[in-house]
Amino acid sequence: MNTALSSIIASQLIALLAALMLVVQLLLVAQRMLLTSIRLFALQSLFLAGIAAVVAYFHGAFHVYVVVALTLTGKVLFLPWLLDRQVRRMRIVQEIEPLVNFPTSMLICGGLTLLGYLVARPFTSLERLGNNTLAVAITLVLTGFFLMINRRKAITQVLALLTVENGVMLAAVALTTYGMPLVVELGIFFDVLVGVMILGILVYRIRETFASMDVSKLSQLKG
Amino acid sequence: MKPDALAIILQTGLLLLVAPLVSGVIKQGKARLQNRRGPPAWQPYLDLLKLLRKDMVVSEHASWVFSFAPYVIFLTALLAGLLVPTITLQAPLSLFGGVLALVGLLALGRFFLALGGLDPGSAFGGMGSSREMTIAAIAEPALMLAIFTVAISAGSTDLSRIVAATQGPAWSLLNPMHVLAFAGLFVVLLAETGRIPVDNPATHLELTMIHEAMLLEYSGRNLALMEWGASIKQLVLMTLLVNVFFPFGLAAGTAPAELGLGLLAYLAKLFLLAGIVVLVETTNAKLRLFRVPDLLSAAFVLAALALFSTFLFQ
Amino acid sequence: MDQLPLILVWLTLLGYVAGAVTGLLCLRAGKVANVGAFGCAALSSLSGIVASVSALATGARDAHQPVQLLPALIPNIQFTIRLDPLGLFFTLIVSLVGLALSLYSLGYVRSFHGRKNIGVFGAFFNAMLLATTLVFLADHAVFFLVVWEIMALTTYFLVSFEHEKEEARNAGVLYFVMSHIGTGCLILGFLLLFQASGGYGFEGFHAVGAKMAAGPRNAAFILFLVGFGIKAGIVPLHIWLPVAHPAAPSNVSALMSGVIIKTGIYGLARVWFDFMGPPPNWWGVTVLAIGTISAVLGVLYALMEHDLKRLLAYHSIENIGIILMGLGAALMFLHTGHPLLASLALIAGLYHTINHAVFKALLFLGAGAVVHATHTRNMEEMGGLVKRMPKTAFFFLMGAVAISALPPLNGFVSEWLTYQSLLQGFGTTSSLVRLMLPLSGAMLALTGALAAACFVKAFGITFLAQPRSEHAAHAAEAPPTMLLGQGVLTAACVFLGLFPTQFLKLLDPVTQQLAGAQLSTRLSLAGGLVLSGATATGGTVSTAGLVLMALCLLPVPLGLWLVFARGTRVRRGPTWDCGLQGLTPRMEYTATGFSKPIRMIFKALFRPRREVQREYDFSPYFAKNLRFESHVEEVFQTRIYRPLNWLVWRVSRRMRALQAGSLQAYLIYIFVTLLLLLLFAL
Repeated sequence: MNTALSSIIASQLIALLAALMLVVQLLLVAQRMLLTSIRLFALQSLFLAGIAAVVAYFHGAFHVYVVVALTLTGKVLFLPWLLDRQVRRMRIVQEIEPLVNFPTSMLICGGLTLLGYLVARPFTSLERLGNNTLAVAITLVLTGFFLMINRRKAITQVLALLTVENGVMLAAVALTTYGMPLVVELGIFFDVLVGVMILGILVYRIRETFASMDVSKLSQLKG
Repeated sequence: MKPDALAIILQTGLLLLVAPLVSGVIKQGKARLQNRRGPPAWQPYLDLLKLLRKDMVVSEHASWVFSFAPYVIFLTALLAGLLVPTITLQAPLSLFGGVLALVGLLALGRFFLALGGLDPGSAFGGMGSSREMTIAAIAEPALMLAIFTVAISAGSTDLSRIVAATQGPAWSLLNPMHVLAFAGLFVVLLAETGRIPVDNPATHLELTMIHEAMLLEYSGRNLALMEWGASIKQLVLMTLLVNVFFPFGLAAGTAPAELGLGLLAYLAKLFLLAGIVVLVETTNAKLRLFRVPDLLSAAFVLAALALFSTFLFQ
Repeated sequence: MDQLPLILVWLTLLGYVAGAVTGLLCLRAGKVANVGAFGCAALSSLSGIVASVSALATGARDAHQPVQLLPALIPNIQFTIRLDPLGLFFTLIVSLVGLALSLYSLGYVRSFHGRKNIGVFGAFFNAMLLATTLVFLADHAVFFLVVWEIMALTTYFLVSFEHEKEEARNAGVLYFVMSHIGTGCLILGFLLLFQASGGYGFEGFHAVGAKMAAGPRNAAFILFLVGFGIKAGIVPLHIWLPVAHPAAPSNVSALMSGVIIKTGIYGLARVWFDFMGPPPNWWGVTVLAIGTISAVLGVLYALMEHDLKRLLAYHSIENIGIILMGLGAALMFLHTGHPLLASLALIAGLYHTINHAVFKALLFLGAGAVVHATHTRNMEEMGGLVKRMPKTAFFFLMGAVAISALPPLNGFVSEWLTYQSLLQGFGTTSSLVRLMLPLSGAMLALTGALAAACFVKAFGITFLAQPRSEHAAHAAEAPPTMLLGQGVLTAACVFLGLFPTQFLKLLDPVTQQLAGAQLSTRLSLAGGLVLSGATATGGTVSTAGLVLMALCLLPVPLGLWLVFARGTRVRRGPTWDCGLQGLTPRMEYTATGFSKPIRMIFKALFRPRREVQREYDFSPYFAKNLRFESHVEEVFQTRIYRPLNWLVWRVSRRMRALQAGSLQAYLIYIFVTLLLLLLFAL
């Protein structure tokens, strides 16, 4: 296989996986079952790992393989397992009605995606891999934020935060051809890991204290 | 380009024969996944034969519209089928209309289906018509947007040209536009053919049925035509999906060997898609009617994303 | 030979005058007035059809000089007409609809015998047709405004013709107010054009926009958009339309919805494409957006109606939206310099204009026949009419299929052309606005599907199942002249649907005049059987071919019948009633019930309210008495017009101080104003 063709295939694969990440993100927005949401997040992280693997393979950048391994163990296996356990322990299956109803939030996400693509448009010439990964990354961050605003359960908000982080990682892996310096990536990764674990404990405590995960109840804490 | 009489006859025969088989395969597949034996895949043929031989009871409140509707539904589905390439690259009737005509013809069939539901004056029929038209209306933008995306990238609304334009090496089909548009259209397929999670083709529970509610007063050969028409419509939509998004194995010429290979590839793709439908149907529960817009708005956004992702960077 | 169209146009105009005069002369003799006035109208519109078709077919260029109708009595104001292609095309529309309406009216106005003066009605009817024709042909801004106002006035009189009904009076007033706001905008707009061209003749206005500065030019664009938009009924200026159209007698409703609102479209096309020169980008974008919004909102509100004529009136808003989508796209393509595509979009818009005129008039005539027979406009009290009025039912069904944009009738063809122009326009630019094209195409698809839902409801609830009231049960078929009028329009629907390539030839001079390209030969393939999307690969459709093919396929189901179902019997039996004691009309699905899912899905727009009161003995499920009320909020009324109304009232109250009631005080006001003006002029 000559190099030109292989690079076309690589960029096709990356674009495809990025698009799939986006689809999963939309499914997350439309999903109200907590356990399914967690699995969707794991799936999204799997696609992210796939993109990283493609980048690593086609550029022979070995430190990116570390990112792949960390994403797989951390975000595809460990965090979903952790959150899954917590949801089961708290016996909560469903998100309550979000602030904005589903069709409207779908359309809002469509608008956010358009915005993401617009913002990313000037940078397209910089990219060599994957046509619209930066756009997808920005969209993931934006829709992640939207998801955090729109939902009430703390668990979903943690998931939304994680998808924001997925977006950042995607930008890091795909935009700069060889990935960010490994130290930075590791830093982000462990930051989030620890953050989520603490959040997880907090969620449990909130639940214990208020008998609810509804974050709007937190407003009762003020003096 | 000229309509070729032989091709038309062959394709009509193909549509008539394959359509009940696909329905049967889906039923059989669902039964297997639910650990039942289920009816054999060729059961729909026997059902149609039986229905054709039965006497008819027509409601005394019904008018000519009631008896006219089955013919419209059957013929529009067949005509729509002639606009889609099935086993060759060239659809037999593509000069007479492309994908817009296809959607229009199916809509004409649906229009008369809904009228047929209202005609006998039963509340079930009215309910079915109302829901069918509602779901069709909110599915339409997603359907059209996905089709536009494909049509714009092919520069044509002619299905033969669209299929020809998507021909290429396998990996080139794995671009985001294709995946997103396919996902959007697949959801629309579920809605348009009355599959779970939108409608349950197996139910006759009074308050949940949609398509079946409109057929409630039909019997005998009218019912046979309606059922056959519905399965042809399902086949047409499935063909649209498999041949536009996976145009493998379509025969370029008309040599018998090529046609045979094309037929095999076509059937394989169809049964694969039927398998996905079966999986979706068995792993999901039917949605409440007012949750269906959630699903279809997701389909619309998917189609819009397909559009964005292809054309913002050109 | 060259003068033939002109002579025929003279005949048409004089015929309408004769009709009006006959009506006024026979005030006492209703039957004579009926035959005289509407006979004249029918003959005149027939001659109008021949005139416009013959002129358009020979490719009427600007060869026809302005023709003086009346001697110029006042300097600078000339009563001239000119037979240019755009005007002729709209004359064809008014004449075609006018012919059918005149035939229909012969039978329809008989119901006025003894109640109303038919002579007056006939006179106004002729005057309205005359004024409308002159609006399309006028070649001078002042003359245009004069006939425009005559048209508005006659329409007002006809809307409030049944003035014993309060509804008709209120509708008339609302129409009058809105219409005058529009005319005010038009006067300002024409003044702006006058500033740039130095005259009031339309010839002098040609491409005058290029000479104007951006400010006045954009101001003129907006003024004309509002002024003509009110007449056309675009959202949010539409509120008079669903009130006024249903209140009028049905033949007038048909004329209003079919033709009068098209004068707005005519004005917009005239101003944008003839006067204003190359458009900036935002014009096209704005018009496309307004068109899309009008289309979707129009059909959504239509779905909520169970008054048959109001439902049709809301559909007019929808269709005006679709027409504007075509015109907006044409403006966008003119901006990017694609005259061919602009012509295609323009053809789509104009073709939809005539199509809508034909099928909407047909539907209103059908509704008129139904209202005539059942004495109600409420669909919930109809039902079962297909057996009692089979011919009307058939014509209404054809109209319903046409307006729902279903093949093979004409609505489908013009929407197909709209889709084609939107899709092909996508490649013309790489700017972001092109995303609007497929997105508004998707909204057009939504509109079409909702329209189909709405007409399943309109036809199904009105004509199918069992009669829901005594009146409906004893309805009788309409008289032959009324059926003839509907038949003419149905034939037009079928012709325009099956043979678009033949008809599009007539549009060649129009697109040549407005967008600088002729397309009919490119649009026609295979000897005119197939309509093509103007490019070699764009796509083709052949409604006639599909119909032929359907006939060829008919042996399949018939063969099945012969082979397998021979000897089976058909039995009539009752509809399944769940084992109760027979099905009553009260168990049928209602129009309100039919549209409930849509109401729930779009509840953010409709804000539905409902009140249910039950009286029961032991369980709420077995109510003895049940009262159900359901309302939909009309957002534009409550959110825009009511506050505006309130504001006007408040301002007026302040102004009341000025109203002293003494003549001297008023004279002082006038005198002071005069002095101020004189001082200002110094």
